[in-house]
Amino acid sequence: MPTTYFYSAWLRRILLLPLALLSAAGLTGCELFEFSPNEIRTTEEYHDLTRKNLDALAERPVPGNGDTLRFIFTGDPQRFYAEADELVASVNQQRDIAFVAIAGDISDFGLIREFRWVHDKMRRLHVPYLTVIGNHDHAANGRQSYQEVFGPLNYSFRYAGTQFVLVNTNGREYDFNGQVPDVGWLHSQLADTVGVRRQVVMSHVPPMDEDFDHQLEKPYVAALASSPLVMMQLNGHRHGFSETWPYEGAIPYINSASFQKNRYLIISLWGKREFKLETVYF
Amino acid sequence: MRYLFFILTILAGLVAPAHAQPGRPDSLHRRSWLLPHHVIGQFAGGQGMATVGLGYTSRRRLDLDLLAGYVPRRYSITPMGIFTAKATYSPWLVSLGQSRWQLRPLSAGGMLSYTASKGFNKTWDDKYSTGYYWWSAHTRIGGFVGGRLAYRLSNQSGRPARFISAYYELGTNDLYLVSIWHNIGHLPLRSILTLGVGVKVDLF
Repeated sequence: MPTTYFYSAWLRRILLLPLALLSAAGLTGCELFEFSPNEIRTTEEYHDLTRKNLDALAERPVPGNGDTLRFIFTGDPQRFYAEADELVASVNQQRDIAFVAIAGDISDFGLIREFRWVHDKMRRLHVPYLTVIGNHDHAANGRQSYQEVFGPLNYSFRYAGTQFVLVNTNGREYDFNGQVPDVGWLHSQLADTVGVRRQVVMSHVPPMDEDFDHQLEKPYVAALASSPLVMMQLNGHRHGFSETWPYEGAIPYINSASFQKNRYLIISLWGKREFKLETVYF
Repeated sequence: MRYLFFILTILAGLVAPAHAQPGRPDSLHRRSWLLPHHVIGQFAGGQGMATVGLGYTSRRRLDLDLLAGYVPRRYSITPMGIFTAKATYSPWLVSLGQSRWQLRPLSAGGMLSYTASKGFNKTWDDKYSTGYYWWSAHTRIGGFVGGRLAYRLSNQSGRPARFISAYYELGTNDLYLVSIWHNIGHLPLRSILTLGVGVKVDLF
């Protein structure tokens, strides 16, 4: 039988390389055993994060004093993990922040590990964080993975007298089928104003963008205009900060800078329509 | 670990037919080069939940394998079929004393895979301008290191010995490497690693 027989320090080193990698991997068991990068399996730790963050937010007294609600607005963390570390460190220095809002494109490739990696950064925030789905989060099985890790694609919550409505506007991912965004759902959310002083709508793709389903642009804008309490529309997707009034009426459209731009906004809301934007560089 | 069940099932399925090969040709010369040298059962490693395959061995060091893996609907929008071509090189072959055991302490390899799944949202189509989604959700390139432990089943004179072996692969893929590339020190190495284990049974 033609075999090599040797045993030496070299063999030990060779043997140790994969074993060292394995121990570096922490032998975290089943997470290492990946069936496909596109699988949608996740553990309880990385599951239902939107609800968990909302529960944490509900427990949180409104920080600061008086009427003002302050939160961080950013977007498009996709594959900018170094910047995510810096953003978290910077946000944790801020005072009187209620939560962080991330306007979509959590992932770049729609892979479930990317959602986990971003959560591994965001979990170090001292405040809850909330997301809306972006177009990159739809790639391959991404839409399902997003739902497994974070939760619903359309949802709303109330905090400090403010109703936040988060809506999936990534129409191009659905081949502009006239269903996304769900304008009927948006109407129903905005109509439910009992106990609400102001409303903020957040989505990934803004309605004037070519990736928004054009046949729904007017109905969407009309839905926002139909509620007198809507004070701003927040978007990501374009990666640069902007504040514009693209449609008739008093609603400003604010686009977040991406993580890569090393800047984020602190948005302060008070009164019925009053707001202030502060840019923070990190 | 509940996955052990799958591994054992694959193992049992492979060993049984391998023992029952009828009418093997007596001489290597009469064997068609097309006939695979071994069959494979694998678990995970990014190549499916349950994966079967066949392969060829060149000079006892290089294995060229073709695998078909399955991921059920439970772990995907629609079930995934993953088809993988894989090359594994094991430079060292160590007989453990006079026993039937043989060890390949280190293997290194690469693979190319194609994933078919009806439910995938496309990344290469005319939805966005060319290059917007620059990667394919279907095609993956991966690399791995690993090892393999083999047990000699037969050693008849004039015929090469048949082995049954267990191996593992610690690997990653192109998209994970792209993710860590610009984030060295911000994504731990372990976060991009995948592990697969499998069994190979020589047919001849």
